[in-house]
Amino acid sequence: MPLLARYSDGAVAAMRDVVLALDKSAAKPELIVADRQSYDEIDRWPVDRVYSVPSHRTELRVGVAGRPDGARLVFTGEEAISQAHAILPDLQRHRRRESGRQFRILAFSTLALVSVVVAYVVGVPLLANRITALVPPDWEEGLGAAAEGQIMQIIDAEGGFTVCGNDPDGIARAAIDRFTAEVMAGTNSPFTPKIWMVKSDVPNAFALPGGNAFYFSSLLDVTRSADEFAGVMAHELGHVAHRHGMESLIASSATGLLVGFVLGDMTNISIAAAIGATLIDSRFSREAEREADRFAAEAAVRLGFDPGALADLLDRIAGDNEMSQSLAFLSTHPFTAERRAALEQIAKQTAARPHGPVFSAEEWAAIRAICDGDIPSHPPQLYETPSLRIGRMPSN
Amino acid sequence: MSVTTEGPWARAEQLAVAPGRLSGNVQFSGRRGELFGRLLRGYLLMLPTLGLYRFWLTTAKRRFYWQNTIIGGDRLEYTGSASQLLVGFLFALGVFLPIYLVFFYLSFQSSEVTTIGYIGAALLLWFLAGYAIYRGRDFRLSRTLWRGIRFDQKGSAMGYATRRFFWSLLVLVTIGLAYPFMAANLWRYRYSNTWFGDRQFSFTGSWKTIAGPYYLAWFVFVLAAGFAIWAFVPAFDNASFYSNDIAGMTSLSMAAFLIVVVGALCFLYYRSRETTRMFSAVRLGDASLSVRVRARSLVGQYLLYGICLLGVLVVLGVIGFGIGQALDADLSGGDFSAASIARAGWTGLVLAAGGYLAALAAFTLLGEVFIDCGYWMLVAREAVITNLDSLTGARATPEDKSVAGEGLADALNVGSF
Repeated sequence: MPLLARYSDGAVAAMRDVVLALDKSAAKPELIVADRQSYDEIDRWPVDRVYSVPSHRTELRVGVAGRPDGARLVFTGEEAISQAHAILPDLQRHRRRESGRQFRILAFSTLALVSVVVAYVVGVPLLANRITALVPPDWEEGLGAAAEGQIMQIIDAEGGFTVCGNDPDGIARAAIDRFTAEVMAGTNSPFTPKIWMVKSDVPNAFALPGGNAFYFSSLLDVTRSADEFAGVMAHELGHVAHRHGMESLIASSATGLLVGFVLGDMTNISIAAAIGATLIDSRFSREAEREADRFAAEAAVRLGFDPGALADLLDRIAGDNEMSQSLAFLSTHPFTAERRAALEQIAKQTAARPHGPVFSAEEWAAIRAICDGDIPSHPPQLYETPSLRIGRMPSN
Repeated sequence: MSVTTEGPWARAEQLAVAPGRLSGNVQFSGRRGELFGRLLRGYLLMLPTLGLYRFWLTTAKRRFYWQNTIIGGDRLEYTGSASQLLVGFLFALGVFLPIYLVFFYLSFQSSEVTTIGYIGAALLLWFLAGYAIYRGRDFRLSRTLWRGIRFDQKGSAMGYATRRFFWSLLVLVTIGLAYPFMAANLWRYRYSNTWFGDRQFSFTGSWKTIAGPYYLAWFVFVLAAGFAIWAFVPAFDNASFYSNDIAGMTSLSMAAFLIVVVGALCFLYYRSRETTRMFSAVRLGDASLSVRVRARSLVGQYLLYGICLLGVLVVLGVIGFGIGQALDADLSGGDFSAASIARAGWTGLVLAAGGYLAALAAFTLLGEVFIDCGYWMLVAREAVITNLDSLTGARATPEDKSVAGEGLADALNVGSF
């Protein structure tokens, strides 16, 4: 039974009806392509150079090496296809080899991508740290100024932004500045941080890149002792000294690039990309909090205030529960119990100096009253804001 | 909607009634179910490959479209491969890294510089999108084979991107009125640089080809939007937000509903006319294409899409609810240990993330099956090529396989089909 096909030579746009025959007389078998009517020979294809190309399930299309790329024999229908496979037994082996090749490409590129992700998750915190050291401090100060502008707008919208007790000769101001200088002494930080007391009914404290930190009056209202106050300030100064704002910016830029690469959407429009980026970034953020805690505990040991006081304040305002612990990997902050344990661990390891007041009674009284006078009328909604954070910038 | 009979359309109507082998020389043999199967398989394989399977899926999808499109009895062939797309994507990454670094640098600057920088970057991305669209078209055409001869896109992608960029700024400035001029210009640039072997395509349309339907749709939409705002919005004032003014909210949602529905209908009406008239202005030597797509066919597809999407989302919701109930039962069994609560938290999160991904996949998957595939089917089945025989004898031209492929299009999410 003759093997019928449609043929194109790949040089001129035309399909011819052809009949095929196998010539086994030559050293290598050849497929003779002949016109279906006249039986004139059109071409001879060496059987071992014939390959199949992806085609519709009702067709088998083959090309041949050494002819134009578009040269094709098209077999249509089950019968013709199985006949063709009988004459060209290598086709299926070629096809299997090709799908094996595709599978290997996919597997290797996936492996490569997995190793990029692993290298990223392990390496970026280290790398961000190194890169941060290379960023000129005045870049970071510029960034801090820009962030400050945005944050003031937000705070303004939420009920006003007033800096309290900014008289350089005031007792409170002088005490805070002295404390800042003592904490920063010997850290080799390029910045001269300043902690601003701000009247606001949002209970918060945070540090910006470049050295400015803020302590809000609502948080001061629930700060019960000078040690708690010192602990929070030392924590914020820890962010400044470690340049965490800068580090997190570098880390989240790298995350955006990675997630964009994984999902193939480098403009970062898709929500999925945002979720992925948040998951990865929150990990670095928690690490930064631990580092700032460590810094605060070391300062506490050096200056002689109670490192556990920071945890007391955190306990009062946050209140862990088990449900939220199961979602810990989403949170930007580590949990209070964990933080307290770490703080006390450091305090235990180092021989603490005799426990003395870090602020005199007079100074602490002045600090507590720094925003007094016209405190916002409604009480701070502390317990209704479980997301309360003592951290860096409210958002990246 | 009535059919106008001026312009290239008249020709299509005459052809449609002409008997014999002229009509129906373009066919489409694919079925939605088959595409759905390929897409579902591809989406699932994207999970273990961290999304890299998308290049293989795109290739499988194109093979489906190409191989099922039959012109004059011969199927189109797609000769591109997934690894070419993968390589193209790596090239695109090379373009994006510097842009990324610039973004990074800008974030340190004062807010004015940052704002200007971001605007500049947005414009650059908009420009690059035009470049990517053209390169993507080049990639697809140069890997399309019909009767053994390759198509090709010549012309300059930069030139196309520049035209598209400035035209779209003009369209923006003229609140859309310049659009027919832009469309005609870009269609002409694309088609007069498209080749089949050594034969060059041409485009006979002009802005007049689509001006009528476009300005009609534009005018109706503006009128409807104006009416909606005039009729419904005054009943609603700022205080309504706080006082839960139900009448005010209702009238506002009425206005939004009216604008969306009229907008969608105007868009589909115009899209059907643009498809019909612009495709019917495409020529290849003596051969000419004519296509007739009705607005109601497009509306029907969107309705079908909406109904199926609703069905799938309801099913997904029921499944999610069922799992949630099962977990609740688990907890109310008296096991209130920290571990079980934590487990529930995790499961809840996995459910939420899984539900989000499933809903997102349903949106895009059904969109591809009903909207994209539906459009391709409509155009292919309604297309007629006159003088198809005149293409016999077109000769192949030397290979021109660009390496960079269409990675940029993938990266910018502007790839089509």
